[in-house]
Amino acid sequence: MANSFTGAVAVVQFPGVNCEYETAAAARAVGVSAAIFRWNEDPAALDGCLGIVLPGGFSYQDRIRAGVVAAKDRVMDAVSALARAGTPVLGICNGAQVLVEAGLIPGIHWEKVDLALAPNVMADREGYYCNWIYLRREPTNCLWTKLYGDGEVVPVPVAHAEGRFTTEDAGVLEEMKRGGQVALRYCDASGAVVPSFPVNPNGSVENIAGVCNREGNVLALMPHPERAAWLRQVPEDLGDRWARRRRAAAGDQAALEGEGPGRRFFAALGGAKGGSR
Amino acid sequence: MKLAVELWVRLKVIDLVAQTARITLVDKLDFGERLRGLTRYSYWAMDAEGETAPGILEEIDRAIRLDGAFTNQNKHLYRLSGGGEPPRGDLALEKDYPAGGAPDETAFAVDCLVRELRPDREAGFASRLGGRLRGVKVSRMKCGEIWRITVGAPSESAAIAEAERMLVSRSRREGLLLNPHYQRHEILGTKRL
Repeated sequence: MANSFTGAVAVVQFPGVNCEYETAAAARAVGVSAAIFRWNEDPAALDGCLGIVLPGGFSYQDRIRAGVVAAKDRVMDAVSALARAGTPVLGICNGAQVLVEAGLIPGIHWEKVDLALAPNVMADREGYYCNWIYLRREPTNCLWTKLYGDGEVVPVPVAHAEGRFTTEDAGVLEEMKRGGQVALRYCDASGAVVPSFPVNPNGSVENIAGVCNREGNVLALMPHPERAAWLRQVPEDLGDRWARRRRAAAGDQAALEGEGPGRRFFAALGGAKGGSR
Repeated sequence: MKLAVELWVRLKVIDLVAQTARITLVDKLDFGERLRGLTRYSYWAMDAEGETAPGILEEIDRAIRLDGAFTNQNKHLYRLSGGGEPPRGDLALEKDYPAGGAPDETAFAVDCLVRELRPDREAGFASRLGGRLRGVKVSRMKCGEIWRITVGAPSESAAIAEAERMLVSRSRREGLLLNPHYQRHEILGTKRL
């Protein structure tokens, strides 16, 4: 076995992802050990890991459909088993697409595909969209959002072409809502859930931005918290309290290296326990 | 007159998406023994209204060659057909089948059209093409991706069933080529090889 991830966060590097190093850095910024796990390494190395993050990018070049080829990869056998055993798993953007295509999210029927992350539907445009948006933390038992307060508004960037949560099964959507699995919704700066673009940047059903499994240890999140993990990453003109902090920190390197709005997603791992299959 | 028109387009070079799909179906979803070939096409179908069938095809042919959204002659082959007229373009669909397997084996090519559940997208293509046409109107635009799935199977119905198992992603271990929560498929045709 080449590496062991016992007690560390494994950031899974599928061919074509491009956010793995900054994601590992965001995890290290909260004091946990994190390293890159190549998709074709021996998955036994994941046993006992503190958590697994499937980062953003374009796994397998988004061929066929974003996330679907990685979802069928053998490493996902291990990710699925560990997730089911309680290991925290976070899929960011392309990682969220992998979790949805693998049926780990919403996970009501384990490994069954109950959702899609479909191409964006936006006003007067189509395709890729990249911007800062706001998330509202919903009442949930999700491990990854536990350090945010109910209703707290969190600015983070989105950058995707296929991020529209949708399902043809109305029962699944109802069950997700009833079970507190809708962990995050797109909102405006005041926290109002406005269904239209650009507040809802992709046409996602009911402004859903992040879905966790029923147990709360697996989260599929379309926005990129690792791109908002340091204060220096926040745009000065964002127009909220984070922008005010960012402007106040101008010229103060130590303050700029301080917490950004997305860091608490990773800090939530502080009290987590790793699992084994 | 009104004409039902079809446009099939595929890459001239090796299609890496189709190659990846094939590898995934064979290596990760265990369809290896049955999958004989996999080809991907872009597809548009529409009603076109104009004076004569040859004139309609000629005008659409002129328009699609100007618009990279439909075909780029540097990288695509295409076939434009309708109304029994000689097809336009350089894609010989009738020859576009994989070599058969063993002589005693039956194989069927199943043409599966995958569409998104978004009528506005198809209307957008109709508007885009319509804006380039002179004296021809298009309506009832239908577009998507065709997967020509060639499978070894004892009968046509068994081949269709097998192709649909490859198509529809129902779980992590079942299906690949479409997600049923935003896409639909229809079988356009089959051919025994």
